[in-house]
Amino acid sequence: MNIPMKSTKTRLKVAFGFAVTLIIALILRLGYLQIYKGDELQKGALEQWTKSIDIKPKRGIIYDRKGKKLAISVNAFTVWAYPADIKNPEETARILADVLDMDYDQVLEKLTKNQSTEKIKQWITREEANELRQHGLSGISIVDDNRRYYPNGNFAAHIIGFTNIDNVGLAGIENVYDEYLTGIPGKWLKMTDAANRQLPYDGEKIHEPEDGTSLVLTIDETIQYFAEKAAQQALLDNKAKNVSIIIMEPKTGDILAMVSKPDFDLNNPREPLDQALKAEWANLPIDELQDRWYDMWRNFNVNDIYEPGSTFKLITAAAALEENTTSLNHHYYCNGFIRDIKGEVLRCARWYNPHGSQSLREALNNSCNVAFVNIARQLGKEKFYEYIRAFGFGERTDIDLLGEEIGIIPSSSDIIKEINLATMSYGHGVAITPIQLVNSVAAMSNGGYLMKPRLLQKLVDIEGNIVASFEPEVKRQVLSKKTSDTMLSLMESVVSDGSGRSAQVPGYRIGGKTGTAQKIIDGRYAQGKYIASFIGVAPIDDPKAVVLVTVDEPTGSSYYGGSVAAPVAKSIFEDLFNYLEIPPEYTDEDLDQESERVILPDLRNTHIGDAGTTLTDLGLRYTTEYIEITSDSTVIDQFPAPGVEVQKGSIIDLYLNSRPSNVKIMPYLIYMTKKQAMKTLDEMGLEYTFKGEGVVVDQYPLPGEEITIDTEIVVEFN
Amino acid sequence: MARKKKNEKKKAVDFTLFLSIMILVFFGIIMVFSSSWPEAMQKFGDGYHFLKRQLVFSVIGFMAIIILMNIDYRIYRKFALPIFIFAVILGLLIFTPLGDESKGARRWLILFGFRFMPSDIIKLASIIFLSAFLSNKKERTGTLLLGTIPALIIIGFSCGLIYLQKDLGTTVTLGATLVAIFFIAGMRISHLLALGAGAAGLLYYAVTSEGNEYRLERITAFMDPFADKLDTGWQAVQSLYAIGSGGLFGLGLGKSRQKFFYIPESYNDFIFSIIGEELGFFGSLLVIILFLIVIWRGIIIALKIDDTFGCFLATGIIALIGIQALIHIAVATSSIPTTGITLPFVSYGGTSLVMNMASIGILLNISRQANIERS
Repeated sequence: MNIPMKSTKTRLKVAFGFAVTLIIALILRLGYLQIYKGDELQKGALEQWTKSIDIKPKRGIIYDRKGKKLAISVNAFTVWAYPADIKNPEETARILADVLDMDYDQVLEKLTKNQSTEKIKQWITREEANELRQHGLSGISIVDDNRRYYPNGNFAAHIIGFTNIDNVGLAGIENVYDEYLTGIPGKWLKMTDAANRQLPYDGEKIHEPEDGTSLVLTIDETIQYFAEKAAQQALLDNKAKNVSIIIMEPKTGDILAMVSKPDFDLNNPREPLDQALKAEWANLPIDELQDRWYDMWRNFNVNDIYEPGSTFKLITAAAALEENTTSLNHHYYCNGFIRDIKGEVLRCARWYNPHGSQSLREALNNSCNVAFVNIARQLGKEKFYEYIRAFGFGERTDIDLLGEEIGIIPSSSDIIKEINLATMSYGHGVAITPIQLVNSVAAMSNGGYLMKPRLLQKLVDIEGNIVASFEPEVKRQVLSKKTSDTMLSLMESVVSDGSGRSAQVPGYRIGGKTGTAQKIIDGRYAQGKYIASFIGVAPIDDPKAVVLVTVDEPTGSSYYGGSVAAPVAKSIFEDLFNYLEIPPEYTDEDLDQESERVILPDLRNTHIGDAGTTLTDLGLRYTTEYIEITSDSTVIDQFPAPGVEVQKGSIIDLYLNSRPSNVKIMPYLIYMTKKQAMKTLDEMGLEYTFKGEGVVVDQYPLPGEEITIDTEIVVEFN
Repeated sequence: MARKKKNEKKKAVDFTLFLSIMILVFFGIIMVFSSSWPEAMQKFGDGYHFLKRQLVFSVIGFMAIIILMNIDYRIYRKFALPIFIFAVILGLLIFTPLGDESKGARRWLILFGFRFMPSDIIKLASIIFLSAFLSNKKERTGTLLLGTIPALIIIGFSCGLIYLQKDLGTTVTLGATLVAIFFIAGMRISHLLALGAGAAGLLYYAVTSEGNEYRLERITAFMDPFADKLDTGWQAVQSLYAIGSGGLFGLGLGKSRQKFFYIPESYNDFIFSIIGEELGFFGSLLVIILFLIVIWRGIIIALKIDDTFGCFLATGIIALIGIQALIHIAVATSSIPTTGITLPFVSYGGTSLVMNMASIGILLNISRQANIERS
């Protein structure tokens, strides 16, 4: 037997010592990990075991003031995949693509991604969800979700706004009150294994979400509908770029309706409603598309500024009345021009037939620039500026909408030169937002109080209990009750006797003021581009609504505020009186005028002087606001059109031009007999083709278009 | 000599060692059951799948202990070469169609319906072969030409066979075990140092050579496992999470979360992490102490046997078990780069359990013939 050497035994002991050293080192390491670093490591482990899934709270409902639902949340389902758990990706992808109407390759790509979870499709219908559940696919889960739905599509689009795919408000009320609407998301905590499956112990914890608060707006769905309808009609009638309407309750500042047309479908806010436009957008690059979206989402009423023109004369008048620098007894003489400003000659709209001597009331009725320059001069620039600010111009009205503009007014009265004071008196050289104008006229109508316009009335919870109620907010008193009453009376005259007659509804007392302003594009007045507006208030004895109609770039038969915007306001007032159950009270005058009607002659292609005489003889008045007129101007168009029956005393818009004489204006032939049409066209020396028999039903070119002797004219009869 | 022994009354085996091993095996069965449950349910729909198999292997292993502790260990010296050649052939058969690939490595052999890992057999066979070789040339062990070089050839050949199976962890384990025997046998310290340098060089080559980038990744991941905890650092981080969340007393037997697919094959190369998680510092310490007892008893046996072959063989067996245990625990505590070494007697695995228990059977037989105090 071989006996081990002594060295072997020594070395064995050394080896054992070495092993013991290593073991002690490992024990120390273990202690360090389990005792010293234990908490830190356990925290990391807990984090990876615990999966927290957000439970989306239900977004609050948006109601109108009468409790009608404008925006709701509906149940929807979202399909998720857990790629690791999918047994047969090809088959699963085929079924998913089939049921959800998706692209097979795209689905397969998602299913085979190296991700723990992958969203397949958001917001599928209940039917789709049920069908998918029947297939019982492994690794596919269908999760309850909710999505925003706007029952009325494009209704009040610019007010309500919309949300993104995660139910976060992006525009309008949805954005401004997102915090209220969102609620507090709940959490579903569960312990999971590495493949996200529930662990057999610890169970799961659910923190219930807190649903969002619902909003009750000041909007009245019915009134909003009237405004929508009227705006859409005006948009079509005037082939305008935009028609915006605000209806406000003067006593509270409540916005009853607000429209800006064209608008968009809230359920699909990135697609224009117009089919042709939609096709055009399909090929746009994304950055350009985004510009278009933002343009589409602009709310003219608060996001855009414009030069108000004559509607601003109300501010001038109210300020001068309050400061006693004018009164109903003051008279102003209009000779057609303001010539005392160095280097500038300002013209009245009717410089060729000056207004002569007129009272304050007449000056407003006639919308006489010369008179208002004098009123402003008597008031003085400091006081005038003070009132412009007091009425809220140059500051935000603080309406609860995004991106409100402040407008452009002089930064102080010191920089107002003589010429500025003069033009500002009739609304030139300032830029305002429609909401500012509505708010200032509301102040004139409610006893002089400038309100904070508002869209939110109260907050209610899911059961309908009131959580918070907001009171109307007075910003400041601008006018005395007396001045306010005087302004109402003045505005009433404008509608009953002045430029705003087209807004008159027989049997009702309506006040208002028209405005027509040439648009300023890139800092210069743009030829042929106007903004026609009408601000109205009714009923005068107890104002319930201030209505502002702005028509941007009307390209139809007229562009005057009195003829383009006032009739829109009229139709709104008619609907409003009906809805608010305000009965008519006919005066004798109403009844008289009802009986006295005249048929309008065709004044086109006649000299302005002759046209004026003709109209005056018929007991009609006329207007030719803002036009660069030369002494030999001829009438190129008129509104209403020839042949229309109008009440005596109506104001007829005349459009003048100094175009070369070989350019003529296509006359209005519709409903003429063949003989009449032939006579009209022969008198103008035009060549033409007639088709069919009877009265004119169609004509080419359309009435009002510029033609020459050589233009081919086709007239259809039926 | 053999005849003389037969006439003597058989001495008892080292009971402390036997008991420690039995506790470890029993403990292993419980831990394999606990840690394999999730995967067994997932893969086989039967949570007891690994438990049943481990029980069967334990029984086989137990029989191996009983049989081998009654077979005189000296017989292996006689048959050292045939045993070694047999093991080498098995090792090479892996590369024939009889070999079986699993998880990208060819380490399995299917023979007569049995699926096993030849590397476990090579380990024991090479220990026997080297022990026999060294005890035969005891006087020349210290020389270079007749001692070190032939021994290194045996060591290198054995290790090379395992390295071919792309199993660096086992290669290092076996290399260290065989060098330990050689060291005990009287290897020159200067040769040992030279060998250490050579081994370091080889290890460097194994890590940096082309096609083995995963090894380098494991080392960078070891430096800072949390830097890439979703990919290369995953195993180390998950093991640390398991051990760390165990704290002093653990989450309780069976209550590991990490075994739910956070730690892949937690019943195998990372079973110590699950022990740490479920039983805490004290549970883990118990396991370490059991291994310390096993090593201590093994060294005592090696010291007390009056036979060079028996001494070397005991050293080899105990070194093999001790080194595997140390590496396994070091990997689990992220003290060394991640490598797949099972915890002897505890981890799941038929061949390794049976072979380890068989080795203990041999060691117990040596203990019978050593002059040790028995409790």
